[in-house]
Amino acid sequence: MQVVREHRDDLIVRVRILSAVITGILVVIAIGFWFVQLVQGSYYRELAENNRLRKMPIKAPRGLIYDRNGHLLVENIPSYALMIDRSRAPHHLDQSLAFAAGVLGRPVEELQDIMDRYQDTPVFQPVLLAENLTLSEVSRIGVQSLEHPEFEVEVQHLRLYRHGGQTASVLGYLGEVTQDEVERAGGHYLPGDLVGKKGIEQTYDAVLRGRDGERVVVVDSRGELLEEYGRKPAIPGKDLTLSLDLDLQQEAARQLDGPEKVGAIIAMEPHTGEILAMVSSPSYNPNLFSHRLQKSDWQALLDDPNHPLQNRVIQNTYSPGSTFKIVMATAGLTERVVEPHSRTFCTGSATFYGRPFRCWKKGGHGSVEAETAIKGSCDVYFYGVGQRLGIDRIAKYARLFGLGSATGIDIHGEKRGLVPDMEWSLKSRKMPWYPGETISVAIGQGPILMTPLQMAVLTSMVANGGYRVTPHLVRDAKVPAPQRVPLDEDAIKIVHKGMWDVVNDPSGTAYAAHVPGADVAGKTGTVQVIAQAQRLTAKALPFKYRDHAWFTSFAPVDNPKIAVVVFAEHGGSGAHTAAPIAQALYAKYFKVDLHPATR
Amino acid sequence: MQNISKSISIQPLAEERPQPLRHLSSIDLGLALSAFLLAAIGLATVHSASSEMVVDYFPRQAGWVGIGFVLLVIAMSIDYHVLLDLSVMMYLAGIVSLIAVFFIGVQRGGAANWIQIGPWQLQPSEFAKLATALFIARYLAGLNMRVLALRQILTTIGIVGLPIVLVAVEPDMGGAAMFMPLVVGMLLVAGVRIRLLVTAAVVALVLGAGLWTFGMHGYQKQRVLTFIYPERDPLGAGYQVRQSKIAVGSGQLTGKGYMQGTQSQLRFLPARHTDFILSVLAEEWGFAGVLTVLSLYALYITSAARIAMRARDRAGIFLVVGLVSVTCFHILYNSAMVVGFVPITGIPLPFLSYGGSFTMVNFISTGIILGVDMRRYVNR
Repeated sequence: MQVVREHRDDLIVRVRILSAVITGILVVIAIGFWFVQLVQGSYYRELAENNRLRKMPIKAPRGLIYDRNGHLLVENIPSYALMIDRSRAPHHLDQSLAFAAGVLGRPVEELQDIMDRYQDTPVFQPVLLAENLTLSEVSRIGVQSLEHPEFEVEVQHLRLYRHGGQTASVLGYLGEVTQDEVERAGGHYLPGDLVGKKGIEQTYDAVLRGRDGERVVVVDSRGELLEEYGRKPAIPGKDLTLSLDLDLQQEAARQLDGPEKVGAIIAMEPHTGEILAMVSSPSYNPNLFSHRLQKSDWQALLDDPNHPLQNRVIQNTYSPGSTFKIVMATAGLTERVVEPHSRTFCTGSATFYGRPFRCWKKGGHGSVEAETAIKGSCDVYFYGVGQRLGIDRIAKYARLFGLGSATGIDIHGEKRGLVPDMEWSLKSRKMPWYPGETISVAIGQGPILMTPLQMAVLTSMVANGGYRVTPHLVRDAKVPAPQRVPLDEDAIKIVHKGMWDVVNDPSGTAYAAHVPGADVAGKTGTVQVIAQAQRLTAKALPFKYRDHAWFTSFAPVDNPKIAVVVFAEHGGSGAHTAAPIAQALYAKYFKVDLHPATR
Repeated sequence: MQNISKSISIQPLAEERPQPLRHLSSIDLGLALSAFLLAAIGLATVHSASSEMVVDYFPRQAGWVGIGFVLLVIAMSIDYHVLLDLSVMMYLAGIVSLIAVFFIGVQRGGAANWIQIGPWQLQPSEFAKLATALFIARYLAGLNMRVLALRQILTTIGIVGLPIVLVAVEPDMGGAAMFMPLVVGMLLVAGVRIRLLVTAAVVALVLGAGLWTFGMHGYQKQRVLTFIYPERDPLGAGYQVRQSKIAVGSGQLTGKGYMQGTQSQLRFLPARHTDFILSVLAEEWGFAGVLTVLSLYALYITSAARIAMRARDRAGIFLVVGLVSVTCFHILYNSAMVVGFVPITGIPLPFLSYGGSFTMVNFISTGIILGVDMRRYVNR
């Protein structure tokens, strides 16, 4: 086959015509540039110099947050920031700074330091000089705007948390969006945006933030607005109503306010999972974050040995101590390893696998059955239950009660805790499970760990007859319906009685915390931080060696309306530290006067 | 189908041997020089355009140009008849990659038309365009007619239609439209009767009017109107046209100086390292700079036309015409868009705009054109 060269001349003519046409169009375009650049050049030069068109964001106001009774918890307040556009300074920048220093009452050197930080920023980009201007400062700058066109006052909206640290563990705070968040959000966030960093502000950020709008305006050379060129309105964020009860929340916060008051409180509706109060102590002032956080404030929060930013309700896990006997009793009775009235004799100690295990009560409880064992928190009785159940069945019931998995609350950062069993021991510890450990777990010691919020779910399940609820803070949050868990109803009734005795029987461990007319049912727990032997040598232990105190409860016992969990880190004993705090909350909730005589 | 490379293999080997040197000396300086000068100007402008951005695109673009140079040399050294022989395979591979995009494509700016290969994102449609040009050149080269008959025109349109439809449903309408100049350029050179051209124009008008009246939803009409009259969308296209014209116009005769363009540096200009790179150049270098760049493009186009006219065979002519048509369309549309003559759409400027696949394809296509020229004496 020959190379095809037929009609070559025709093709060449057509290529020549085509290239001439294209070159012609190129010339026309060049003439277009000539027209725009040379004929109209000075017109556009002037436009460019004054940057006539400006795109300005219209910030969407963030949604407000209310408690269940309509009390406002968070609002937006206007705040004024001073911006300086160095390219518009009419004289030397020093004169501008001197003027600003006079208005703000700050030394010139301080402002000079701020300006030095922006040396690499293009001069025509406005930079932030000062925040939180007072109205009189704003007006003094406004009056001088002709002599000092370089200054601009920008209105920002600040988040004001009306109750500061009291609601911090629930609401969280806002912070500047990180580079990582900008990339992951796929266009929802711009650098410099404030976004929720914790709590409700974080989980419901998409709802609360709305959508920023934008407008393009024509400005003159002093930056004064001449006319609007186009506008896309902002869509305001939606308001949220929480299940929180502000009165109860404040009472809980007061109870944990003060030095060496470290811990967590949760009050929850046992049938719905609605959270009425949730406090983690020590707390922090979220309003500090509303302004650009000072480095020293941030460092102080990070350095605090008690970690105020840690939400102890969901982020810290602890041994449950004797409160775990609620799970043990329900498990033992449901599995029928003990009968309701089968009795155990407690002498104050018992031997398992060749090792003595002590009861907390030195003289022993004498003859106990399920109900009285809960009332007196008899260790020996539950050692026996634990031995008969074995670790795997204990683990099964602990998981039924929600331990070892996230509760699903609508704030981030939840820990799952730990439910030990044989498999876990082999996989994670690479060693077999020792039967003696089962005896420790039976009274809530050993490797078992849970969050205070998991305790609230566990207690709610006992209170509501075995329905697993999902705790939540936003009233109409989409949560799964309560799940029925296979627990024996008679067993739960006996646990109810035992827990009622704890608070209402004069020989119960928390009798001191009973609330007249409220029919509180509860269980105390004390978690050893150091071994028994060391404790005997020192009478007044340093704070960090003191026991953790638990008290978990619900009321009224026959028709539970509220469950309250109190955890006091290094608080001492459950009966003496934790139970009275719960008592104060019940008094507040049921409007009972605990000390009528002192009126 | 005929095998074009077979016709060369019958040449005696002795005559082939000294050819590398002869090849090098016969490189068309006008084409090569204009391409490299434009790429150098592009690098400098990309650096200026992205100086206020989060990333400086200069190092990346320099890498693309480097890769592009290697690809140019490779494309130049392969006999284009071999490329034409392989064109069916390449065309099919292009179609497969366009289909693959639906399954493994990476979303970027609305359409999922990128494929991630290691750290790079490539745009298969750019490469499919190249393969389509080769395939059509091969098809038209084999025809022995002064003017094409309707059947051959329809066959050509069918070949280009398949990738167009695939790109259009991505959906990347701009990318699909870029296949058009390729087929239009080659068909015009292959010969189309005036009567047919007029008929096609009338049919297109009637179809367009029918579509407008009966086939389009209200919002689709709005989009078309906004495309033609950008002032209808002052926050989007209208804003961009105005900002671009301010940037270009304020450059005046000599410009504001390198890295001194306030429009660009102030971030008024959108996509200033890609689609609006010429606005940045016009602002910083003025009309003098624009004229230099446009002259270099004119040099590139006329050099390519000269190469087409002296090519050895029909295949060479069609190949050069197809490749340079696409480049021309990019040049004309982008520069007209920047100065406000035509509606804004995402069409980058060859050699100047930032972009990996686009830069590589421009260099490959320049390499192929140079290769056609180098082989013009063979077999004469």
